[in-house]
Amino acid sequence: MTESKNTSHIIKVSGITKRYPKAETNSLSEVSFDVFRGEKLGVFGPNGAGKTTLISILSGILPQTSGEVNYFIDNESANFKKILPKIGFVPQDFALYQELTATQNLRYFGKMHGLKNPELEQKISFLLTILGLDHVGNRKLATFSGGMKRRINLAIGLINDPEILFLDEPTVGVDVQSKVAIMTLLNDLNAKGTTMIYTSHHLREAEDFCDRTLLLDNGRIIAEGTLNDLLKQHNAESLEDLLIHLTGKALRD
Amino acid sequence: MERFKASLLKEILLLLHDKVGLLLMYLMPLLLVFIITIVQDSAFRLVNENRLDILIVNNDKGRLGDSLVQSMKNAGSFRIDVKKGIDESQLAKLTLEGSKLATLFVPSNFTQSLSSNSQRISDAMLSEFGMEVEQRAKAGNKNEVQGGVKLIFDPVLQESFQVTLINNLQTMISGIESKEMIRQLYADMGYDEIPSKILKELNRNPTKIVAKPAMSGESAMIPNSTQHNVPAWSIFAMFFMVISLGSNLVKERLSGSFVRLQTIPGSFLHAMFAKIAVYSFVALTQLMIMFAIGVFVFPLIGLPKLNLPSHIFPFLLISVLSAMAAISYAAMVGTYAKTQEQANGFGAISIIIFAAIGGIWVPSFVMPDYMVMISKLSPLHWCLEGFYSLFLKDGSWNQLMGPVIYLIVFTALCQFLALWKLRRQHYI
Repeated sequence: MTESKNTSHIIKVSGITKRYPKAETNSLSEVSFDVFRGEKLGVFGPNGAGKTTLISILSGILPQTSGEVNYFIDNESANFKKILPKIGFVPQDFALYQELTATQNLRYFGKMHGLKNPELEQKISFLLTILGLDHVGNRKLATFSGGMKRRINLAIGLINDPEILFLDEPTVGVDVQSKVAIMTLLNDLNAKGTTMIYTSHHLREAEDFCDRTLLLDNGRIIAEGTLNDLLKQHNAESLEDLLIHLTGKALRD
Repeated sequence: MERFKASLLKEILLLLHDKVGLLLMYLMPLLLVFIITIVQDSAFRLVNENRLDILIVNNDKGRLGDSLVQSMKNAGSFRIDVKKGIDESQLAKLTLEGSKLATLFVPSNFTQSLSSNSQRISDAMLSEFGMEVEQRAKAGNKNEVQGGVKLIFDPVLQESFQVTLINNLQTMISGIESKEMIRQLYADMGYDEIPSKILKELNRNPTKIVAKPAMSGESAMIPNSTQHNVPAWSIFAMFFMVISLGSNLVKERLSGSFVRLQTIPGSFLHAMFAKIAVYSFVALTQLMIMFAIGVFVFPLIGLPKLNLPSHIFPFLLISVLSAMAAISYAAMVGTYAKTQEQANGFGAISIIIFAAIGGIWVPSFVMPDYMVMISKLSPLHWCLEGFYSLFLKDGSWNQLMGPVIYLIVFTALCQFLALWKLRRQHYI
């Protein structure tokens, strides 16, 4: 656990609310917080708390019903269209083409980002190597294990060297070896300046990974700060303790 | 351009991987067009090339039964086997057990019955002319056959063939009756037989029917099973693309690939256009292969050759518009379907319904009026109208205006609805 590294904003969220069509309640209600350049912000909460909705709004996949999201480049407010090429998105689903090889998937998404050769091929080679997939680059993803697919899912999110990386459960369903490979790479990238907004149900992993924590429940922020501060404030021993303390033990879905 | 090229390559790789989809799109229509053309061509030959097997049980004690048998043989539409002395009660068994499609039963008093009728008419005519009619014993009337000849069908024989057979028989019996009546008339006037000059005239058939298809131009096209089936089933095959393209779209959406593309500026529309381009290529190659088979392969297996339309630009336009209509419909189904099963099920059933009401299986003109109106809603009907104008009537631009306008409107509507849905889902 480290303290927040930088105080310059990269994203400023002001009072966003989201209600899906035909829904009776808000998925997010008046949510406001800041994301600082170079930090690893963890967003946690029970199922249905609004974590995926929040990440989807921040990454431009969903529009908010009300409120504002402002992005900053070099401390200057930036249009979302300008920030979009600098965003990387690693969804919870395997957003991949299982019928294509690992290399073909990376090449396709790289070209969609506007990358050109030889830079693109070098990038593909680097990502496959660092994620331990260089020996299976020409194999179709349908033959991959869950852990291998998860690593390719991450690699595609990193193909454009994003400044802001949204990670929605990046290690769900993977073995300990894949998890270590993924978390090591993410820490390395963060050390080089990539800002990360991360959700997970692996709370032990999150404790070690995140600089700052945002706890959501029923679409509202119920706590925000560094994990040390939150634990002290609520007299809890771990992130899991803290979540149970703040959201209760009742099942949510 | 790089994005479009990358999307194009991705679509081609996905398509090549989808072996079942490729088989459905290329092999299924070929099988369909072969099978349907061979079956329809066989049906045509069945009637026109002496292939309708008929058994005639001729129990007639007079000469007219033999005349009927001879007329049937002369007609050239039947393969005839003649038997005598078989009881009427055995006819059904004989038909079902044998390899004949129908059995014609000529009763023992066939000649007597026809002669009695002829005699009555002859007497009436002579009486009308003021001539004295000999008072004959009316024994014939008492023995008159009420039912005449009987025709027993194998139940598998379709109604259209039954009607053809009955009409043929009716014509032949009418001819025999007419000749018998004239013979009787001459006999009553004291002649032993019909004078040879009159007989010659009677045997002549001066009223010939010349059947000719209505064509706009001077084309040598002859409407046949190939000219009907190749365009019809090519259209059906193109629209069946809904299964491959529709489920491909749903799969990408459900896998999250579309969501990922949302976070890459401008990439989604490139991906969609590439999809449309690849499937347009598939649809047009489907057409080219089907037409090439009709032109080059059909004659080798004894089927009529496909004659391509002489107006090449209208032909290309209708081909492209049909392909675009098929792809746009598939894209719309893929956009609205929530699961691959929905896209496949709804897509396939809707195409079968469109084909049925659109006249692919049964021509629209045999449908009741309200169905003819409904058939105009089917895009397959307008594709077929366009192709039939070209392949059967050698039509030109004027005749194609209706299909062209409808197909453009249909394509635009499907694309609008698909884009509207994608916009609502925030993909574009």
